[in-house]
Amino acid sequence: MTLSRRLVVGTVSVLAFLVLWQFVGQREIVRSDLISYPTEVFATFVHLTSTGELGSNAAVTLQEFIEGFVPSIVVGVVCGVLLALVRPLRELLDPLLTAIYTAPVIAFIPILVVWFGVGTYSKVVIVFISAIFPIMINTRVGVSEVAEPWLRAVRSFGADQLQIVTKAILPGSMPAIMAGIRLGLGRAIVGLIAGEMYVSIAGIGRMIQTYSSAARSAEIIVLVVVIAVFGYVCVALLRSAENRMGTWRSDLE
Amino acid sequence: MAHLEIDGVSLAYPNVRERSTFLALDGIDLGVERGEFVTIVGPSGCGKSSLLMLIAALLHPTGGSVRLNGKPVTAPGPDRALVFQDFALLPWRTVLKNVELGLELRHVPAAERAAIARKYIAMVGLREFERSFPHQLSGGMRQRVGIARALSVGPEVLLMDEPFGALDAQIRQVMAVELLKIWERDRKTIVFITHDIDEAVFLADRVIVMSASPGRIIETIRVELPRPRPLTLRSHPDFVVYRERIWSLLEEQVRSSLHWQAADDTPPLAQVP
Repeated sequence: MTLSRRLVVGTVSVLAFLVLWQFVGQREIVRSDLISYPTEVFATFVHLTSTGELGSNAAVTLQEFIEGFVPSIVVGVVCGVLLALVRPLRELLDPLLTAIYTAPVIAFIPILVVWFGVGTYSKVVIVFISAIFPIMINTRVGVSEVAEPWLRAVRSFGADQLQIVTKAILPGSMPAIMAGIRLGLGRAIVGLIAGEMYVSIAGIGRMIQTYSSAARSAEIIVLVVVIAVFGYVCVALLRSAENRMGTWRSDLE
Repeated sequence: MAHLEIDGVSLAYPNVRERSTFLALDGIDLGVERGEFVTIVGPSGCGKSSLLMLIAALLHPTGGSVRLNGKPVTAPGPDRALVFQDFALLPWRTVLKNVELGLELRHVPAAERAAIARKYIAMVGLREFERSFPHQLSGGMRQRVGIARALSVGPEVLLMDEPFGALDAQIRQVMAVELLKIWERDRKTIVFITHDIDEAVFLADRVIVMSASPGRIIETIRVELPRPRPLTLRSHPDFVVYRERIWSLLEEQVRSSLHWQAADDTPPLAQVP
């Protein structure tokens, strides 16, 4: 299918869905206070934006996300490389890391709130912990699967230890690292919203919690759409960063 | 004094399981003159690739020494460059960036290294492909990139480890002719490993024949065929004589290595890269 054809089909399907939803909701075929309808959702969005409620809460959530996610990339990649290259470290930490990785982060939220308070700090930690494990573990796997000829090539030209890492190991494991970051991104968003919904002072999750107890469907739908759009934008940004870095695809090898 | 001197070099690998050592190379003596093209043939597992890695100093001998211009080699250096059978290109780099690799690792400024790389890319006939990635190229083209990459650091000695071994028969003959053309321009010292006897004779000033494991030099044959050498040389009567002579030397070695493998089910230790 060509790109333009895909675009047309995609747009038509989204429009058809919106028209159907509008019809079913507005005509009260299903109770509109439960499912709302697009024009009402849009009006609610405009209202929430104009009062500044959405903006100020989104800013809190965004800040928590950035403060947790950026360090998780840096620390996750560094730890992943070390785990792959330093065997005693790997043997020591593997069981512990696997246990923490497989446990749902949501289960840690209550204790993190006890440790770090109900404010933004506990959410930053949740984001960090949610994202770091997939990033670290993917990096580790990517590094240990770096092909021997790449290492041999850079060594044969007299690369030092640091150059072996920067010229062969990191670019060679970049597809796995990026996959880890994408995975971490999804988990971070889930953890962040769940953490805010559990207990918080402000944020998108806090708003969802509040409007949920008031049974306000339109507001909740607005917030869910905001989260979805944020996730989509993040994935698009990652992809463009990947293209700019000239990241290769391992399936082309 | 020869340009490259290999003096009583031995290489032993420890075999942990049997608490013994496996002798890969045994007392190799070889002097290569400046500008000489030497090819090394031998049965598989005779340690000929290991010998090349010792010259590159990616491996270290357990006995003897390797000297270049009289100085012992202890680490990889810009005076020697390797070309590998599997090309060993970096798939995330374009042709240009692959050729720049050696210069980049030595901190040559970006503009200068691009200019040098382009010169060698043109020399191997890939001018239109400098923005291509390795996966977009054929095997023969990839190895041209490998050769350009090795030449770009300006080595005195080119070390080639079965460079055409992964290519099909027609392409490898064409590549051999092209390699000779490049070599005849600046006459670098070349040590070329192959298991293809025709290729060894076609390229060489001297063919070194090695024994089955442990690798020793059993014969050195000077190839007195005129240069430049056309593809048709392979059917020249003298060429055939060289080929028969080397084959008769190798036949015995191949048989003994077969026998050796049958007697002891464990294959010789994997060749270290």
